[in-house]
Amino acid sequence: MSGRRIVITSGKGGVGKTTTTANLGAALAKRGRKVVLVDTDIGLRNLDLVLGVEKRIVFDLVEVVEGRCQLRQALIRDKRFDSLSMLPAAQTREKEAVSEEAMTRVIDELAETADFVIIDCPAGIEHGFRAAIAGAREAIVVTTPEVSAIRDADRVVGKLVQAGIPLRLIVNRIRPEMVKNGDMMSVEDVCDVLQAELLGVVPDDEEVIETTNRGEPIVLDETKRLASIYDKIARRVEGEIVPFTNLDAPGIFGRLFTMFKAG
Amino acid sequence: MAMQAFDTPAASAGAQGAAVPAVTRGRAIVITSGKGGVGKTTTTANVGAALAAAGKRVVLVDADVGLRNLDIVLGLESRVKFHLLDVLEEKATLDEALVRDKRSENLYLLAAAQTREKEDVVTAQMKALIEELRDRFEFVLIDCPAGIEMGFRNAVAGAQHAVIVCTPEVSAVRDADRVVGLLPGDWRPELIVNRVRPQLVKRGKMLSVEDVNGILRLPLLGVIADEPGVIVATNRGVPLALDPISETGAAYRAIAAKLSGKDVPAPTVRVPGGGLFSKLGSIFGGRA
Repeated sequence: MSGRRIVITSGKGGVGKTTTTANLGAALAKRGRKVVLVDTDIGLRNLDLVLGVEKRIVFDLVEVVEGRCQLRQALIRDKRFDSLSMLPAAQTREKEAVSEEAMTRVIDELAETADFVIIDCPAGIEHGFRAAIAGAREAIVVTTPEVSAIRDADRVVGKLVQAGIPLRLIVNRIRPEMVKNGDMMSVEDVCDVLQAELLGVVPDDEEVIETTNRGEPIVLDETKRLASIYDKIARRVEGEIVPFTNLDAPGIFGRLFTMFKAG
Repeated sequence: MAMQAFDTPAASAGAQGAAVPAVTRGRAIVITSGKGGVGKTTTTANVGAALAAAGKRVVLVDADVGLRNLDIVLGLESRVKFHLLDVLEEKATLDEALVRDKRSENLYLLAAAQTREKEDVVTAQMKALIEELRDRFEFVLIDCPAGIEMGFRNAVAGAQHAVIVCTPEVSAVRDADRVVGLLPGDWRPELIVNRVRPQLVKRGKMLSVEDVNGILRLPLLGVIADEPGVIVATNRGVPLALDPISETGAAYRAIAAKLSGKDVPAPTVRVPGGGLFSKLGSIFGGRA
């Protein structure tokens, strides 16, 4: 068995890579898939916080690479889903501690027993980025509808194409009212600029901040709007054709409205 | 051609150089955070614009080689002809590479290279360049890249002071704490808490400024509210600091005044009540 190896990347920081990694991972696990999430942001790890496992870290990626522990010893199993586990990054080391070759070996080993290995990439395009994409066979580029995020995403798309890694796009933190007022770029504009296939559209939702602070991925709560959106993205990742539903922006006097893709 | 000549940074910088007497050595301040997307570039642009509007001579240095964005936030992207690496590699003079702001005669940008790597910048050269800028400007604001790799080290190299930008999120606080630990031990970095949503803090769904600074324990330079106006202003290339009506604009001007040594209170965002997250303590062990 050889699982899929997907890197979640963006160029710009703070656009939602870690949140996407945690929620897509949890959504796939909820569907019964065996999923391993790998935090490659050595020195600035955060995936453990988003998953709420920060107190359970014993070993990390660097210790695995340096042979100080077994890979399975470093994996932390999620308490909510048996089939979800994560490999934390080291917090007090440098990105250079893990070479591209070492990272590829770890990812390949994880893919032997998992359906999905999802790699949370650090911001930027330095060594940490190169190492994170080294073990991946496909990529999800996360961007927000801001000029700066799109320019950075464009740089990353270029580098992924150069590396021969196929990619799809998640447009994150869309605010329909702002798009409608012409204050924010639409999903169509973003896809146009980046010339990439769309995998998902996630609206801006203040619940994410709270669930992140609590260490509970939002997909755990099925009453949340974003839970169904990440589930759709997970199904698309698995190859299902899931239509994009329309997200109505409240219009002036409740009569005029524009349709926005979501899901 | 005449218009083009008027627009070249070299011509305008030269004219400025002749008109303005030499200043005492300026202050180089790095704007950093660890975590990306917390508002370093927006802060750099707005504080820079506010300082320039107050009559200071300011240069903004984009240290994010390969992922530059400060030019966009300032609306100067089509005027960038040369960049920081061109200067370091002596392919252009500093005067040629400095882009004057469209609105302010006191504000200049030194753009980052977009198609190069951060590893191409030699730390010693970067340091020398910042030194040179300090001879010509009262404020040198360095927009640091996200992360703590080479780009971070180069951005910090020439600075004497740091402003830490942090949002009220546990991940941003943890990254900021890490960055403070990597700065020179004799620095006293100042904190800007960015993107505070008072309503969320009130309902206990967002960390308060006190929660954030209970961990970081830094002198507070200011608090900036999360408002859509910032994104709109960024997309339009007009810093909110120049908006006389916006409260956020006023907050940036107060931060600029504080950095200039004026004894003004740090701008705040009023929150009725305010919640404390017990989780922060567990993340930071005994320090909280």
